[in-house]
Amino acid sequence: MQNIEKSIYISRFRKNKEAALFLIMVGMFILMSILSPTTFLTWRNIQSMAYQLPEFGILSIAMMMVIVSGGINLSITFTAALSSIVGGLVLSKLAVSGAPTPIILIAGILTFLGVAACCGLINGFVVAEIGITPMLATLATSTLFEGICLNITRGGAISGFPDAFLWIGNSAVLGIPFPMIIFVLVIFASYLILERTSFGLKTYMIGCNPRVTFYSGVNVKRVLFGIYIFSAVLGALSGIIMASRYNSAKDSYGSSYLLQSVAASVLGGTDIVGGYGKIAGTVMAVMIIQIISSGLNIFGVNRFVINAIMGCILILVLAINTLSNGEKIAAGK
Amino acid sequence: MKARKKALLVILAFVSFAGMVFAQSKPTIVIMPKLIGIPYFNASEVGAKKAGADLGVNVIYAGPTTADAAEQVKMLEDFISKGVNAICVAPNDPAALSPVLKKAKAAGILVLDWDTPADKNLVDLSVHQIDDKVYGQHIWDLLVKEMGDTGDYAIITGGLSAANLNTWIDYGLAYAKTKYPKLRLVTDKVPSDEKQQMAYQKALDIIKAYPNLKGIIGISTPAPIGAAQAVQEKGLKNKIAVVGTALPTDSRPYLEDGSLRVATLWDPSKLGYLTIYLANEMLKGKKPVDGQNVPNVGKITVWPDGKTVIMGPPTDFTKENAKDYPF
Repeated sequence: MQNIEKSIYISRFRKNKEAALFLIMVGMFILMSILSPTTFLTWRNIQSMAYQLPEFGILSIAMMMVIVSGGINLSITFTAALSSIVGGLVLSKLAVSGAPTPIILIAGILTFLGVAACCGLINGFVVAEIGITPMLATLATSTLFEGICLNITRGGAISGFPDAFLWIGNSAVLGIPFPMIIFVLVIFASYLILERTSFGLKTYMIGCNPRVTFYSGVNVKRVLFGIYIFSAVLGALSGIIMASRYNSAKDSYGSSYLLQSVAASVLGGTDIVGGYGKIAGTVMAVMIIQIISSGLNIFGVNRFVINAIMGCILILVLAINTLSNGEKIAAGK
Repeated sequence: MKARKKALLVILAFVSFAGMVFAQSKPTIVIMPKLIGIPYFNASEVGAKKAGADLGVNVIYAGPTTADAAEQVKMLEDFISKGVNAICVAPNDPAALSPVLKKAKAAGILVLDWDTPADKNLVDLSVHQIDDKVYGQHIWDLLVKEMGDTGDYAIITGGLSAANLNTWIDYGLAYAKTKYPKLRLVTDKVPSDEKQQMAYQKALDIIKAYPNLKGIIGISTPAPIGAAQAVQEKGLKNKIAVVGTALPTDSRPYLEDGSLRVATLWDPSKLGYLTIYLANEMLKGKKPVDGQNVPNVGKITVWPDGKTVIMGPPTDFTKENAKDYPF
């Protein structure tokens, strides 16, 4: 009797994954605010978190959408790096040539997006056309992109961008950091694409069972191409924000985000084998990670300890997810 | 259960409140290394903390776990919003830190660089461990002393965009060109990500690729150790002379069997101490002067620009004296 009650409780929790995440997020925020009201709960800190969040948040959404399709995109951070290195080269070369600023900006940003789209196309080709397991395929392309990055930069950083480009990552409109505005637009666009179009529905279907989806008359290859290209373009947006915020482009920028973005997707309730995941969940997971990271940093907690705490939280969430799945199987559902 | 949770929360709240009151009474200085968890920066942490205790300032020694400029930017942003009095940073990439240092200045925070220079126009004071030109030339002198002034050698460096490492190498190379024209650099400086393991592998590759190699210069503290490890393993310590910038405690086992001939460095704990000392003086409105005697550090040199401070000449660590240094 108790078991049934428990499983009902857990299944309700699973249904309301996003609601639970929201409570965790609010709880974390309140906890950090109580612990340091004069430093954490300040406009300045909230603004600084809003500057830090978007680059990671966009990468997490990029990762999450691929995971929903039953794959994974391990090349996402190097896609961002490669697009910002090539885009950065264009920006700095044009800045020296003395071309008018709007042209430099447009050419630069189009380069970012174009390079990333090519990266996405390569991923899509390897995964959808050749049919290599996404994890291996994107691991390989990640090494490829990294190699190209290093060949261009020789391990150094590319800098010397025009001031107008630095505005993107370092300015605020009506007090709202510009990267945050980009992030909100990305959230909105991703939500529409994934959760409100037939393309999105097909993505979920492929994540559940690609073969059945194929026999249902869905062009699986085309959807996969689309999802990898979209993921890569999001990577480029994150690359633009990073290049602008750090006033330079380098292969290692964002590399620490790779596993973190997988973590954020899973923490946000995305099923790691595909077929389930909500944009809202991922966004809240990103916020939880940011709140913990900034909060602990403000307390002066050692960075290694912060990493360890993040690991524990992830294990906890995975354990809850796995155990509740187990309960379901045990209950014969 | 609920009561216990509540009690825990109250305790936590009190602890943090107590911490705040404690912190408010004295200035807070953040000192950020390139990364934490390597012996060099562990030693400078000891010095910085000691200065904090001696001078009665609150010292936060915090940095990323990998030598990542982006991570430094994020941590600095958090500290700016926390509201500290001074930030001393050893940038992994000077350009990447410029926007955040601008933000710090706008927030009225004193900005210093230490160990590695940041953008000159953004810092209030730049604390250097060494005169870069003297040091670069000194390293090449040591190499020639060990391998002779003729033959092939290679350079393994920490990272290609680390400004201080590049400066020493550039001064050293320019010096070698005129003073030791028969030295031949076999390949461009090889990066090792500030990691001993990486330096070891790169050294193995270099030894294999250039059989006539007579010397390796390791720049950045893990690099000479990694190179010495490779030379030791291959049994080439009599053929290849490894010199470089390393900590004495790390170097000792390699110095003793000769796989590392000589290491040269400064005392990083003194550098940490000096940085905090000067930051504290600046907060009080006192600028450093040339020839000033800093307790526990010694006489410092200040350049005519008034914002570049040099700690002192380098110290060589050999088989004989390495055991006398605790870092």
